[in-house]
Amino acid sequence: MICENCKQRPATITVTQMKNGKKLTRHYCDVCNKQLDHFHLNLDSDEDPNAVQKLFSSWFGTPSWSVQAVPISNTQTKVQNDSCPQCGMTYRKFLEEGKFNCPTCYETFKEQLPQVLKRLHNGAIEHIGKVPGSINESYQMKRQIEALRQDMKSAVEEERFEDAASIRDQVREIEKKLQSGGEESDEH
Amino acid sequence: MTSIDHFLKSKPPLWMRGDINYGDIIMSTRIRLARNLTGFRFPRAFSDEEALQIDKLVSSAIIDEENNLDVPFSYFSLHDMPALQRQVLVEKHLISPQLANKTKMGSILVSEDETISIMINEEDHIRIQCLQPGLQLDKAYHLADEMDRLLEEKLPYAFDDSFGYLTSCPTNTGTGLRASVMMHLPALTVTNQMGPLINTMARLGMVVRGIYGEGTEATGNYYQISNQITLGKPEEDIILDLQSVAEQIVQKEIGARRALLEHASIAVSDRLNRSLGVLQYARILSSEEAANCLSNVRLGIDLGLIPPIPDRVLNECMLIMQPGFLQQHAGTTLQANERDVYRASIIREQLQMNNTDSKQ
Ligand SMILES: [Zn+2]
Ligand SMILES: [Zn+2]
Repeated sequence: MICENCKQRPATITVTQMKNGKKLTRHYCDVCNKQLDHFHLNLDSDEDPNAVQKLFSSWFGTPSWSVQAVPISNTQTKVQNDSCPQCGMTYRKFLEEGKFNCPTCYETFKEQLPQVLKRLHNGAIEHIGKVPGSINESYQMKRQIEALRQDMKSAVEEERFEDAASIRDQVREIEKKLQSGGEESDEH
Repeated sequence: MTSIDHFLKSKPPLWMRGDINYGDIIMSTRIRLARNLTGFRFPRAFSDEEALQIDKLVSSAIIDEENNLDVPFSYFSLHDMPALQRQVLVEKHLISPQLANKTKMGSILVSEDETISIMINEEDHIRIQCLQPGLQLDKAYHLADEMDRLLEEKLPYAFDDSFGYLTSCPTNTGTGLRASVMMHLPALTVTNQMGPLINTMARLGMVVRGIYGEGTEATGNYYQISNQITLGKPEEDIILDLQSVAEQIVQKEIGARRALLEHASIAVSDRLNRSLGVLQYARILSSEEAANCLSNVRLGIDLGLIPPIPDRVLNECMLIMQPGFLQQHAGTTLQANERDVYRASIIREQLQMNNTDSKQ
């Protein structure tokens, strides 16, 4: 099999990605795989292939893969035309300009954002650190639930079922508290 | 409220007084927090109406007698401010050049001692900045954090559980924290060690920029080292990492200075003392030459090759040699060549004053 990107070297690497709920399999050579870094695979088919390079070159200097990156013309990714309800920003425009227009943009593009943030923040996609006082409490509870769920999983794996059950009760307790902040809580 | 004149004086502000925590190598520390209000578009896209509302919300949250702040804050709109005054505030690092150009909707809140400034409607709705002399990341962060807590009590911040503080630029997303140290690294520069160091820093997630110069070219051997990453790392870790990097660079600079002295003592002494001569006797001084000579003189003093001149005097020279300050001091607009002449005379004066002071 020949590399789908350069169509020259033999493909040695298979990349599987989830895209809009569909599984996509790609075959690349070693060289292209390194250059692509699976980032602009998610760009729209009619996206200006230079836009993302412009964006990132202005932040990072010329990216290594811009030297011989080949526009991907055959990708079957769907064009994402979602625009931000608060400001009208589209994802494509964000990639061109490298900046958001309003806080709601984050919510609008939350599916695509992790791959951008990963590149900018050394692989990180999630905030750790200070939280504004007003939302502190519910945030802490959500974090607590996450941690407990992890504990529960490992308890189950290690067949400590009694522990798992008691952790589950703790999770339910916190979930109740979380919900009582808003509406009346429903029994599951 | 303090008048703007207070903030336009060339007396070095508190954070430039030196003589503290590696003060001979680390000139100052800066913390910047980027914050936005929910329900408003970011400054790059907002309407005049939104700009006005944000301005009112933020300024009235700070200028409030019930705050009980240790140091009073003053509010200035960039709109009514003459260009020269705006430039002086930039040269004093109280506002960014970007804000200085935003005369339509930008404004600034600044503490009387000039250690804290809050820019309104720069790239983000709110940018809290704290400056401290020497290496004082903890203290600077603590002060900025205090202002942040005051604001968050009164204003609805744009914050997301997983992305953290939402900012206009994704390079600030998360903590919105940019911590920087301004370092004077003449020995590392002259021994060509800055290039490799900058590369190493990049791998550690730190950015090195020249300051007082264009782009990455450092004039006067001053560099700013900051964290690049704002997401996935708590504030304490960001600060701790920068602290340890800064301390290591200090050790490297000390090592390079020692090596310079050992290998080329007389050549180094000659070069540094010549710079003192230029500052004392030149009649035309470009800002670049002045910055480089001041850097050399500072190094000469640190190495004991030049008799001491207080940091206060050198810092005042650094401030006043900048175009905005010069023209403000002259009380008139000066062309570039006129500035070079005026700069030379002001620096001569400063050094002579110090000389007569120390002889009395
Ligand atoms: Zn290939
Ligand atoms: Zn938006």
